[in-house]
Amino acid sequence: MSVDTDTHGSAGSRETFEDVDWEQVDDAHRSLSLKAIIIASIYTVFAAGVIYDYVIKTPGTDTIGTLGVNLQALDWLYILTLLSILCFVVVPLYENKRMTRYYWRQFRKNKAAVISLIYLGIIFVIGSIGPRFLDRPTVNPSNAYQPPVFMSVEEWMPVECAGEVSGGRCHGTWAHPLGTTHEGKDILVSVIYGMEVSMQVGLIAAMITITIAAIVGVSAAYFGGWIDAVLMRYVDIQITFPTFFLYLMVVYLYGGSLFSMIVIFGLLGWGGIARIVRSEALQRREEEYVLAAKNAGASSYWTMRRHLLPNVSNSVITAVTLLIPGLILFEASLAFLGLGDPTVPSWGEVIASGRDDLQYAWWISTIPGVFLFFTILAFNFIGDALRDALDPRSEGSGE
Amino acid sequence: MSMTTYILRRVAWAVVASLIVLTLTFMLLYFTPDTQLAELQFQAAQAGDDPSEIGEAYESYYGYDQPIHVQYVDFMGNMLSLDWGWSETRAQPVTTAIADAIPYSMMYGVPSVIISTVLGIAIGLYSATNQYTRSDYAATFFAFFGLSIPDFWFAIILLVIFGVMLGWVPILFDTSVAVFSLENAQQLILPIIVLTLSSIASLMRYSRAEALEYVEAEFVKTAKAKGVEGRRILTRHIFRPASVPLATILVGDLLGIILVSSYLIEVVYGIPGLGMLSFRAIINQDTPLVMGTVLLPAFLTIIGNLAQDVAYTVLDPRIDYGDS
Repeated sequence: MSVDTDTHGSAGSRETFEDVDWEQVDDAHRSLSLKAIIIASIYTVFAAGVIYDYVIKTPGTDTIGTLGVNLQALDWLYILTLLSILCFVVVPLYENKRMTRYYWRQFRKNKAAVISLIYLGIIFVIGSIGPRFLDRPTVNPSNAYQPPVFMSVEEWMPVECAGEVSGGRCHGTWAHPLGTTHEGKDILVSVIYGMEVSMQVGLIAAMITITIAAIVGVSAAYFGGWIDAVLMRYVDIQITFPTFFLYLMVVYLYGGSLFSMIVIFGLLGWGGIARIVRSEALQRREEEYVLAAKNAGASSYWTMRRHLLPNVSNSVITAVTLLIPGLILFEASLAFLGLGDPTVPSWGEVIASGRDDLQYAWWISTIPGVFLFFTILAFNFIGDALRDALDPRSEGSGE
Repeated sequence: MSMTTYILRRVAWAVVASLIVLTLTFMLLYFTPDTQLAELQFQAAQAGDDPSEIGEAYESYYGYDQPIHVQYVDFMGNMLSLDWGWSETRAQPVTTAIADAIPYSMMYGVPSVIISTVLGIAIGLYSATNQYTRSDYAATFFAFFGLSIPDFWFAIILLVIFGVMLGWVPILFDTSVAVFSLENAQQLILPIIVLTLSSIASLMRYSRAEALEYVEAEFVKTAKAKGVEGRRILTRHIFRPASVPLATILVGDLLGIILVSSYLIEVVYGIPGLGMLSFRAIINQDTPLVMGTVLLPAFLTIIGNLAQDVAYTVLDPRIDYGDS
């Protein structure tokens, strides 16, 4: 309409629609922005690291020999996950300050979720830093059954009481603030190692899940037809296949490892979320802005990447936040059964190790169980709050 | 598409899914080095025999020297005719071992499913009609508790408190007591509580969310305006439309939770059910028994999902039989 009212008499002073040099505009938008270059270079450095670790350096040696750092496949995956969180969660939140503030205002209404976020933040930081500085908990029979600090047990229980003995009771010391197991492993150190394991399980599997679910769901919705049919029929099968029992079979045949567990959960757990993405994207596909983008000649990739994906991301984030606690619980359950990764100190494993001593040494099973419980609870609370904050349809019902 | 064709298609699909599961199992088994054979060969070598000869005898005995497609057809045939192999550690056919174990799983599984279904839906409906009251918050808190507490951890804590400290329940599971006796009820009460808690939470949340959709519906308002009593509104106007999606959650999701939870619960309480059988088989390296006890839950899940879809189509006349 404005074009109609725009008189040609003033064309000399004002730039009209016809005057815009579209090629120049295209070039400006197509050339890579600084942000894209930085993100690309971060991933290039990462890829170079992986190639160096697996192709160039002599097998069997440390990744960075001088520092004594040796990265396993799991560590590389974890680094990739953290990089992706940085590039696709932290940076966009920082760039869109207004939306971040809006989300935060919505999120802040839920006190339990805010506390949960702080709790998980602490678990993440301690779990990331702790294992770098603390030695792995080692078996030391003479150190067994030390009670937590401020607690005391009968004198005969620990082989050698680390703290002071008074009145026939052995008191806990700050050397082992949360006590030790029947093998003499320090529980605090085990719990800190367990934090990293739980975060790795939750975050890596979530990243694999999000990536696959988003690609599958969006392409199924966007292309429709036989691509949609094939992808969704595959999802049908995958959803009916119980991951837990498949993993039991794999553990039985090949032996358990945290890496295979995470990869199996990540590769087989995305079905439900892909369905959510698809149904969301199906609705979005009919929106005016998608039609407009198509009319303007946007490619399929561009439409999916810039118009469909950002608009389905809210429901994906919520669904994944509610998926993570289930994964952490699975890992703990399998470790509890002794079918997890025997080389990794996990919460489930510590709980199992204290099972037979529970009436004499209650702290061994109880303490890691409390951490496990609150971690799962925190993810559930946050998922619930995110659903209220991010889902525009639920607005009003949460007030 | 008519309802019958849709259901037939769903059944055919479940059969295809089962065949894929079986094929996957076969592939896993086929491409795994046989530890039993390695053990036999090692023993033979120690005794001074020729290991390769033993290997050949072993392979021809089990039919492992046949080409892959013959083995595959054999395997599928055996599976379909319910000949699931011989359990070495239990000295009985796998199917017999499973049949022996199922009653023990049912003993606590069935009461738990009934309790969690009835209670979960009742509490969910109550929460929905009394939204944002103190009891709704209490129910929500309880649901989050049930959703988040690791069941195996909760199980051992309960066992220590009520079994060891208070002595109200036996610590070891006794298989010799009669099924319908006070002793049996006593030793099953903790497993029932733990399993109920882990399955009731999601039911409560779902039924609350579903019922909320109808609490403010026009026909409920009309009924209220006409002076229909509260209980009748709840059962006739809110529960009935909400029951359709609930029925589908009941089968599919609940089955998944129960199958995994029961595995852990049986190991903690020493109940000789299906989960325990499977766990022992894994520990004792009894391959046919592992396969049998892992495949059975997989099939149950597939059947559960099928039942869920069929229930949905039968219960909800509004459903669209289209492809999507």
